[in-house]
Amino acid sequence: MNSTAATAPRFEVGVDIGGTFTDVVCRDCDSGAMRLVKIPTTRANPSAGVLHAVQHMVSEWGVLPQQIGRFVHGTTVATNAVLERKGAKIGLITTDGFKDTLEIGRQSRHAVYSVMLKPETPVFLVPGALRREVPERITANGEVLVPLDEAAVRREVGDLVANGVQAIAVSFLFSYLNPAHERRVAEIIRESYPDLMVSLSCEVDPAFREYERTCITAFDAYLKPVIDHYLENMESDLEANCVGSALQIMQSRGGVASSHIARRRPVRLFLSGPAAGVIGGSMAGEAAGYQDVITIDIGGTSADIALVSRGKPLIAAEGMLDGYAVRVPMVDVNAIGAGGGSIAWLDGAKSLRVGPASAGSEPGPACYGRGGEQPTVTDASIVLGYVDPGYFAGGSLRLQPELSRRVIDSRIAKPLGLSVEQAALGIHRVVNANMAEGIRFVSVKRGIDPRRFGLVPLGGGGPVHAAALARELGMRRVIVPRHPGVLSARGLLAAPVEHEAATAFHSTLEKARKADLEREFAALDRQCAELMRIEGITPDVVDVQYFADVCYVGQSYHLEIPVVMAGDTMAQVRRDFFAAHDRIYGHSAEGPVKFVNLRTVHQAPVAAGARFDEPCGAEEGDPRKGVRPILTEKSGGFVEAQVYERSRIKPGVTFYGPAIVEQADTTTVIEPGWRAEVDVRGNLVMTPGDLR
Amino acid sequence: MNRVDRAEVVDPITTEVIRNKLEGIANEMELTLLKSSFSPIVKEGLDTSASLFTVKAETLAQACAIPVHLATLIPTIRSMLRRYPLETMREGDAYILNDPYCGGTHLPDIAIMTPVFYRGRVIAMSATMTHHGDIGGFSPGSLPTNSTEIYQEGLRIPPLKFREAGQYNETLVALLRQNSRLPDTLMGDLNAQLAACTVGARRLQELADVYGADLLMAIFDELLDRSEIMTREALRRIPEGTYRYVDAMDNDGIELDQRIRVEVAVTVRDGTIAFDLAGTSPQVKGPMNCVPSGSQAAAYYAVRVLTDPTIPTNGGCFRPVSLKLPQGSLVNPVEPAPVNARTSTIKRIATSMVSALAEVLPDRIAAPAAGTLLVVAFGGMNADGKRYIVGELIAGGSGAAEGLDGVDVVDTDASNCMNLPAEALEMEAPIRLRRVALRCDSGGAGEFRGGLGVVREYEILADGVTFTHRGERHYSAAPGIRGGLAGASARSVIRRAGGAEEVIPSKVLTVLNQGDCVIVETPGGGGYGVPKNRNTVTNDIANGKVSVEAARRLYGHR
Repeated sequence: MNSTAATAPRFEVGVDIGGTFTDVVCRDCDSGAMRLVKIPTTRANPSAGVLHAVQHMVSEWGVLPQQIGRFVHGTTVATNAVLERKGAKIGLITTDGFKDTLEIGRQSRHAVYSVMLKPETPVFLVPGALRREVPERITANGEVLVPLDEAAVRREVGDLVANGVQAIAVSFLFSYLNPAHERRVAEIIRESYPDLMVSLSCEVDPAFREYERTCITAFDAYLKPVIDHYLENMESDLEANCVGSALQIMQSRGGVASSHIARRRPVRLFLSGPAAGVIGGSMAGEAAGYQDVITIDIGGTSADIALVSRGKPLIAAEGMLDGYAVRVPMVDVNAIGAGGGSIAWLDGAKSLRVGPASAGSEPGPACYGRGGEQPTVTDASIVLGYVDPGYFAGGSLRLQPELSRRVIDSRIAKPLGLSVEQAALGIHRVVNANMAEGIRFVSVKRGIDPRRFGLVPLGGGGPVHAAALARELGMRRVIVPRHPGVLSARGLLAAPVEHEAATAFHSTLEKARKADLEREFAALDRQCAELMRIEGITPDVVDVQYFADVCYVGQSYHLEIPVVMAGDTMAQVRRDFFAAHDRIYGHSAEGPVKFVNLRTVHQAPVAAGARFDEPCGAEEGDPRKGVRPILTEKSGGFVEAQVYERSRIKPGVTFYGPAIVEQADTTTVIEPGWRAEVDVRGNLVMTPGDLR
Repeated sequence: MNRVDRAEVVDPITTEVIRNKLEGIANEMELTLLKSSFSPIVKEGLDTSASLFTVKAETLAQACAIPVHLATLIPTIRSMLRRYPLETMREGDAYILNDPYCGGTHLPDIAIMTPVFYRGRVIAMSATMTHHGDIGGFSPGSLPTNSTEIYQEGLRIPPLKFREAGQYNETLVALLRQNSRLPDTLMGDLNAQLAACTVGARRLQELADVYGADLLMAIFDELLDRSEIMTREALRRIPEGTYRYVDAMDNDGIELDQRIRVEVAVTVRDGTIAFDLAGTSPQVKGPMNCVPSGSQAAAYYAVRVLTDPTIPTNGGCFRPVSLKLPQGSLVNPVEPAPVNARTSTIKRIATSMVSALAEVLPDRIAAPAAGTLLVVAFGGMNADGKRYIVGELIAGGSGAAEGLDGVDVVDTDASNCMNLPAEALEMEAPIRLRRVALRCDSGGAGEFRGGLGVVREYEILADGVTFTHRGERHYSAAPGIRGGLAGASARSVIRRAGGAEEVIPSKVLTVLNQGDCVIVETPGGGGYGVPKNRNTVTNDIANGKVSVEAARRLYGHR
């Protein structure tokens, strides 16, 4: 081979920038070898983490920037801009009479049992003074009732610009039926202010209900200048460091898109990080032979639960961000307030409660030795022998077990008249009961029996609790991926390139004609195909799927049903809708059914290998590191557990609990009576011992 | 078993584990109800609740999305137990009731209860209540605005067996079906209730398998005792005394000039709280009367607001609470007074109970909210001959507090309803919404301003539209506290096509024709502190919440 071989692209890199750590995964596409590192996140400038990652790869791993063929990034920058109120100053233009829609919202509240209420609509996005009305009106049939007053548009835009706005959101009534007026406003803005960013509701979220559409459109405009700046900088930084490959960004639905496309629609990045984790979990489950899994990511303050059915993460049509409902499709991740940092406390009647308050990462659990005075779940894990204080996060943080014992003793054990160990076990029993009910609730909500599903734990805390949760819920399989602590970064490399487009389509099934559906889907296909073309992806590798949001006439919520264009489409949609309604809501009846939205999803899957399906070997050496006593709910007292080093357990090896499997990013607890086996792809699969 | 003996068998860890599970079970029951119900009012309005009860008819755990339902099942379950004592119950039984005068709320709310058997013994009860689509009476939906006795409101069901040892009571089922305009929906929703009760029973039985029935029942008692202890402790932190609050509701929709007095005296003493409603108006002719379960829900809502929110809610929280509801009054009407429109009464009682303590608990109790939910409904025939009825519930503003402006247009106190999007309304009916805007100057002036009401302007596009308007706070206002001023009263007018304006006297039932407009303006919340001290009036003006004129007049702004 000639000299270009040395610089031919052969590595792909996933970088997940979280609040505390930046996780980096580098995969050698030729050998399948995987390297990973955790770098502390630079809070002030998170994108610096990407450069640190490149430098680390060059200096430690001998990877040349030119050899990087794909660079995939999961980011919390959109979410943080909202949490920290660091978006742009924007203006909003609405139909005459409706500028307050954004502030009024839907008038219901989350704080039901309080009279000290706080606004539950995101007024901070754009206060009344920067919300403007212009004469125009489209009817419920999509007809123009009042033509757009273009002079008013020019006047209001000019005034907003004079007030210093960096972006403008436009949301007119019924624009999802007829976008002409919104589009014309965009043209008018472009004529006078070609650099001003614009978000149109007919493009961000063309679906009915004006508050939800206006809200997400305002979020989009608020984030656009921030995200644009962030990603543009990252692109040029990478280029300056000789990384020539395209930068790809994880989106909330669990697919990646190239950076310059992602910049156009920043609201699709809200769940960028967690979505990658779910993708990672689903791929690991699939590689182990389980298409139906529940992922649980146990971090410091929360446990994020997601369902994966037939290999696909379930998508929710809307999610919550900082207490605001945001209508943008995202992987359905349900957070409950229970994690490693959750604080154990005694209430007024001396009941042992755990969470929802958390010690977070500062000061963190007492054992961190950073001044934490409250006992946490992690402190209990130390007392119970699950976590080796000397090997936490790969030994990067040396824990102080005596501090854990002291706070549990003084705050929980003494007041309750228990031993420190009993109190620690109590903390685990309570938090596990809480998490198990959370998993059950999420499953039942989707019409799923958790006992049929595998459990995939992720995050540093997941594998500590997984066996206890599975036991509690009657689940028969726990699949611990090879690197649960950096599964989000790993998942980035496994996600397909995905583009999705949707349109409102209000028609009963009886009245809708197949030709109408074909026409609508063709238009949506053109949008997605154009994006794929920009990505440089040829149509032959793209998988196209159609969906319709369908409901009974009179219902105001709907279900997403796959649409197959071959055969009797309408009859099939009707049958599938009844079946889905029965599965999720427990009944279905013949009755008039209607379409609400149509959606097309284009996916280009990544190459084999990146999907967790390559064989995974083991390092040389005896995996047994010794024994240490652990206490579990079922063990009665302390029992000697064999401690293993994960990287040295060879595929095919079977062993039994009580055991502990240690690795840099997490610790897996194998309860007495459970059996564990490492499969050929490196997953650690746990089953109750009675199952063969 | 007393608490000391119980301590021998009950450990604090298992108790908390069981508590987590009981809450999970109640939530799963509620989810089953929401998922498997047919009627839109359940699915959209979350008008349903699920509870587990001890064999002594105390609440063990409850899931409900709206406080109106808090503990409303208690009198229902007691009434069922009086008629069918525990020892008469058999496995597979299910009991039913809706009569407000036998422990119910209003007739559309039907309760279903199943005993939970474990090895031949009742260990608990699993119960649900759902607002049904129609249970007869003289208007569709069984909520007639002009009823004058309960017989007009629908079919009354005393405590009866809905199912006996697994067999449906066919006589009753036939009778129920015959009396509803929506018999299939009614039966579907009753079956959803049964399904939810069954989920609760099954999961409790699974718990008994693991922990044993005796330990489980001892833990139930322990959980109630613990919540009682914590509630008494929290009540002791409120300064002792008797606190009064008086308010007026507009009218009962029948006698339009007759205001309705609501008077509450709240006495906090030695870890107990008593609500005395003496002084409240006698019962009214129209359907605003509220049977005792309604005041009880309001009182329990007030206790939850006034005490520590981390206390697990169960029957123990209610032990230190007592109510005095004068016989023959608005809050304890005598049969056969009509009761279907009691929600606005419950809301006002709840706001009054909490507001009575605003002066002594300034850091936890805001100035009074508007505390109303305007009901408007339009009905008629579409161009294609289909009937339509669209209704909506419209909120006002919440009250201000130290450091906190009131929230504009938000549902408060005992209810929690969403509004109707313009795009939904216009697809359903020949009506155009011309304006939905914050109502400038409606928030009570103060250092911290009360929340604003909303203006909604409807243009009618067809003839012969029947129009119902059930308002509140047209003749009163949410007062301010600590120098803050009252929020604006509600105001609604019909502007006829010819130009004539009719002011709506809070309640009206009329016909609208093409070109008529209805403009409703909902009330604002009370302000907090002296208006002169407000330092963000310039922003208020810029954001359209206060007019230049009001800024000068009320805030001394120049």
